[in-house]
Amino acid sequence: MIDRTHGFRIEHGDCRGCLSCMRICPTRAIRVRAGKAEYTPDRCIDCGICLSACPSNAIVATTWSMTDPSRYKFKVAVPSPVLFGQFPAGIAPSHIVDGLLTLGFDAVWDYGVETGLICGAIKDYVKGWKGPFPLISIDCPVVVRLVQVAYPRMVDQLVGVQPPREIAGREVKRRYSRELGLSIDEIAAIYITPCQAKTISILEPAEEAESNLDGAMGITEVYNTIVARANLPGAEPGFAARTPSVRNSSFLRWSLGDGLSRILSGHRYLHVTGLSNVTQVFDDIEKGRLRNVEFIEAHSCWSGCTGGNLTVANVYVTLSKLTSLINALPEMDPETRREVERRYPSESFALERPIRPRPVRGSGTTLRERVEMIHRAEAILERLPGLNCGLCGAPTCRELAKDVGMGDASQKDCVFYSKDRLKKLREMHLRPAE
Amino acid sequence: MAEVLLQRKFQVRGLDFDKAGDTSAEVKAILTDVGLDPDVVLRAGVISFEAEMNVVMYAVRATLILTLTEEALSIVVDDEGPGIPDIEMAMQEGYSTASDEMREMGFGYGMGLPNIKKNSDEFVLESQIGRGTRLCSMIELDSR
Ligand SMILES: Nc1ncnc2c1ncn2[C@@H]1O[C@H](COP(=O)(O)OP(=O)(O)O)[C@@H](O)[C@H]1O
Ligand code: SF4
Ligand SMILES: [Mg+2]
Repeated sequence: MIDRTHGFRIEHGDCRGCLSCMRICPTRAIRVRAGKAEYTPDRCIDCGICLSACPSNAIVATTWSMTDPSRYKFKVAVPSPVLFGQFPAGIAPSHIVDGLLTLGFDAVWDYGVETGLICGAIKDYVKGWKGPFPLISIDCPVVVRLVQVAYPRMVDQLVGVQPPREIAGREVKRRYSRELGLSIDEIAAIYITPCQAKTISILEPAEEAESNLDGAMGITEVYNTIVARANLPGAEPGFAARTPSVRNSSFLRWSLGDGLSRILSGHRYLHVTGLSNVTQVFDDIEKGRLRNVEFIEAHSCWSGCTGGNLTVANVYVTLSKLTSLINALPEMDPETRREVERRYPSESFALERPIRPRPVRGSGTTLRERVEMIHRAEAILERLPGLNCGLCGAPTCRELAKDVGMGDASQKDCVFYSKDRLKKLREMHLRPAE
Repeated sequence: MAEVLLQRKFQVRGLDFDKAGDTSAEVKAILTDVGLDPDVVLRAGVISFEAEMNVVMYAVRATLILTLTEEALSIVVDDEGPGIPDIEMAMQEGYSTASDEMREMGFGYGMGLPNIKKNSDEFVLESQIGRGTRLCSMIELDSR
């Protein structure tokens, strides 16, 4: 069965128990107890770092396609702006649209208007905000989940405005159901995603609401068809009868990770990319060291969404392609501006529900019991060697101590306390000498 | 007197801007580990942070003691320092004797003590000039 809450699966047959993923996981969600890696779903933030760290390719992204395509009478692709930077110079946005139609979509939705709407909504949100600063962008689901899991005190600082792709999903259904006389359930809005994390955010939104999108396909899944189609004779650039296809640069800029920098220029704004940098900045917020900052646009990937784990092209090439597209387009074309002005007053962009912290391990127990767990963990930690060797199957001595405190592990998992453990490890990992 | 479930003691040093905020970050981390409501943790965070910063900015050294019982959590900060000559004045919003440099760093808006009080269910501030200041703050926990 596919785990819908996370986009990864560890294939135990391929896992050699090498500890690479356990050591690198930023939220310490992975344990390697019986020679195989396992992760705690509560702590996983879908960053995908384990995927690239695994030398045995034992961690795979679970892709998800529409469960039942025949249920839908009309299927609309809603591509992330990153898609438009993925192809060689000869392949124009109109080719990309055409390729998506070849794949079986009935229409392609460029969400430039929705990007404009959300820029406005975020600007107003910041202006009206009475709570603690800095506010934090929610476009990257990894950042949202990081806050939920590791910085639960800051959940209220996550901007309560939906990302443009969600508003696009809503509009796609509204528009086509009216135009085609279909019910909303008969229309599928499928996001073309740069990363697994966004797929998961559609299947299981952090705020526990329903997504307006019906599913996602990775850029990796549509890439080849688009290239093949564009190379067919007769597929000239400018074959753009089926617009819309990318009219303004603010839509494309959104993929670079600093899409809000312009509209928030009057505010003290930081643009932070890369999960370890994001963590550092969040630690500084917790320590009260970023008191003068009002807004943080944060992305888990160091190059913004152009570096997502379901992209195909080289990041630098993508960035250069997007930059030249951006330079050739107006920031907002008159048609988009008119649409934004028409729709803005009549639509709501707020998240349907507030984002809450993820329940911590051991919730459901009493305060007294949780304190006892902590006392137990501290007592164990005193006795552990502090070498953080990881051979117990936990990433650090402190984590093992916590696990023991919770009753999930035993002090005897530490190789210093059990010869058995060492023996087992030897059997598992040392090849017998010939 | 309710039974103490957990108690932690921290040392805070005056003028140690490098480490400023570390103690309150630890307080927040412990309270989160214990599984307290994020709203309570947030309030405790404001209290410990503002009290810690006041020690860093105005005093020589202090101990911060965090105590948790089933009904409440308390934060007591006892410092050696110049003391506060006029407590009523210090409690006013916007009153501050912070230097320009401190303001540059984003502190010294005179909201620290008022915010501590606002976030506390009980609050006591005592001071002896030339000796030091003692701040006691308490947050009630909802019984669940
Ligand atoms: N621990 C302390 N020791 C000495 N003076 C203090 C202490 N805490 C606060 N004060 C005095 O009270 C004033 C108001 O404090 P506070 O409300 O935290 O505002 P701020 O720190 O921004 O000045 C300070 O400017 C300082 O003069
Ligand atoms: S920054 Fe990376 S992980 Fe975050 S939404 Fe973009 S592609 Fe996905
Ligand atoms: Mg102060």
